[in-house]
Amino acid sequence: MRRVLLVLWVAALTGCAGSAPERGAITLVFKYARILGPADPLPGLLREFEAAHPNVRVKGESLPWTSDEQHQFYVINLEGRSPGFDVMMLDLIWVPEFARAGWLLDLTPRLGPGELRPYFPSTVEAATYDGRVFALPWIMNVGLLYYRADLLRRYGLEPPETFDALVRQVRRIREGERDPALDGYLWQAKQYEGLVVNVLESFWANGTRLLAADGTVFPEPERAAEALAFLRGLIASGVSPAWTTAADEELSRRAFGDGHAIFLRNWPYAMDLFQARDSRVRGRVGIAPLPRLARGPRGAGSTGGAHLGVSRRSRHPDLAVGLVRFLTSERAQKALARGAALSPTREALYDDPELVRSRPDLPALRALMRAGRPRPVTPYYLLLSATVQPEFSAVLVGVKPPGRAIGDARLRLTHFFGALR
Amino acid sequence: MTGRERADRRQALRLLAPTLLALGALTVYPGFWVVWLSLQHRVPIFHVARFAGLDNYVFLASDPRFWNAARTTVVFTALSVALELALGVTVALALHRQRRGRRLGLSLLLLAWAMPSVVTAKLYEWLYHPAAGLVSVLLGGHALNWLGDPYLALPAVILADVWRTMPFVAILCYARLVTIPAEVYEAAQVDGAGRLATLGRITLPLLGRIVMLALLLRMLDALRAFDIMFVLTGGGPAGTTETLTVYAYRSLFQMLQLGFGSAVSVVVFALVMGVAWAYLRLLRARAVVA
Repeated sequence: MRRVLLVLWVAALTGCAGSAPERGAITLVFKYARILGPADPLPGLLREFEAAHPNVRVKGESLPWTSDEQHQFYVINLEGRSPGFDVMMLDLIWVPEFARAGWLLDLTPRLGPGELRPYFPSTVEAATYDGRVFALPWIMNVGLLYYRADLLRRYGLEPPETFDALVRQVRRIREGERDPALDGYLWQAKQYEGLVVNVLESFWANGTRLLAADGTVFPEPERAAEALAFLRGLIASGVSPAWTTAADEELSRRAFGDGHAIFLRNWPYAMDLFQARDSRVRGRVGIAPLPRLARGPRGAGSTGGAHLGVSRRSRHPDLAVGLVRFLTSERAQKALARGAALSPTREALYDDPELVRSRPDLPALRALMRAGRPRPVTPYYLLLSATVQPEFSAVLVGVKPPGRAIGDARLRLTHFFGALR
Repeated sequence: MTGRERADRRQALRLLAPTLLALGALTVYPGFWVVWLSLQHRVPIFHVARFAGLDNYVFLASDPRFWNAARTTVVFTALSVALELALGVTVALALHRQRRGRRLGLSLLLLAWAMPSVVTAKLYEWLYHPAAGLVSVLLGGHALNWLGDPYLALPAVILADVWRTMPFVAILCYARLVTIPAEVYEAAQVDGAGRLATLGRITLPLLGRIVMLALLLRMLDALRAFDIMFVLTGGGPAGTTETLTVYAYRSLFQMLQLGFGSAVSVVVFALVMGVAWAYLRLLRARAVVA
């Protein structure tokens, strides 16, 4: 209440007495996806920014629910040159695309020396296009392995470092438990973006990638085929259930949370739900890095998350950048981590004593975040992803051999890239 | 032409003008624009915009993903519309014979029809849930991988669509049944017609026109179906539920290939127009015979 009064008082001082008090007031529009969590701290943060900038009003407008629709919303509005918003919450895979299109303000000249240092390197990599920085990292995500610590302990096992070990552990534990409802390893293979994330992680685990630095797709097709064949093998051999091919994050998270699986690949958000008071696996879940495959040096989780960028058509770029800075600041990220259980992009917060008290998994997450790899950082990412999705899916449901799927995907991409030149 | 007639004609044009203008602005202009786009390589965010002639169509002709989507669209349309008509007519007949609870039956039917297809899709996502889904329970605990199996996914999507749109056909047919005069049936009874004969010789023929109309509306809708598969399966697995509209959407809004995506849309448009045209010809031929 006191803050409201203060704002009113300041507004009364700055507005000319008698005439419209709103004159000179600036409205910043911030587009964001509603953040789920016990308490959404964002409105409070926006009010705080307003209090520090008395003549500025920040209007938070929510984006459509799904990532597909959000992307569509941005493309239509930005391509249509409608300057309806100043600050945008961006899925990090869009940053290079929007930068290439000329929709994002180049933040490079405004950044102080060392301003990016506190962020995880992979988040900065995802915000950079052509050597310039177009967004600041806001919310971080990384793929990781959840395991049932109680089950592993019962059989004297350590979290697996290789997928071979994971498969052996699944067999061992299922033999011992004799529970037909207990699945082995859950992951996401529905035909959607999450499938690409899972396959990319298997590529990295096998020492290859989807897009080489020189722009070649599938630079080592045999290794990629091997990784795909391995994933298909998980389903075919029953280590992963058949419905993996319809699973997204939530479907697999629920099954694991109900105690029906030994291992799960998912994002950090799941930990909070597993540790909830009414959770059936509370206190029985551990996290570890994703395992590696035969030809990879180590496994790595894919990064995900949200960045904040400024529209190049914003009429108040300085204030908009100010808002981005404020929302990505340590203070704001701490509030988000505490209130909405989101993971910060600033490394130091993972050892913040106050945060760690409410989220004891943070220090363990730090190493995983640090090792995380971004999906190919290219303006053509969605084209790439939408093209490989049905091909990867075809391999995983067993209707196409990996080699052929890779060949078909390559052919299509060559055609589209050709038209882009 | 007398002065009066000429004035009449001018007046008619004036009255038609708003409609023509609105149609022109909202339908014809964008229509031509899409065709024009489809003849270009156009990826605006990458500043690619050049005339491509028939390149996009040539690529489509040899594009397995396109042919797969075309096949899926045709199979989806044929099966879902056939099932909807058969079930819709049956339900309408049953409802008509019902003495009590008609109003309740109608409300329930309307409920399914009034539900947005995205909600229906979400509902079915739970019904098809591999472990906890009602469908698996009904099948005696046989957990089928409905949405993740390349041979089951399309039937699963069709089933959800039939559930949602069958009421539309049922209500149309029911409305027609109510208007058939009782005397016709009484006369048939006097002539000694049995139940089957009444159904085959009176009810179904009198329903014919409305069924044809339902067929047309449903076919045009089914050819453009999008939400239900987009939400349920995203077009997967292995692209087995990807219809042409889903493919067009992905090309336009995800891959941002405006030219190529427009070419896919033009094909959908041609397909819809072709069906409508064939249908109108069929009706005309019938009218001549009758």
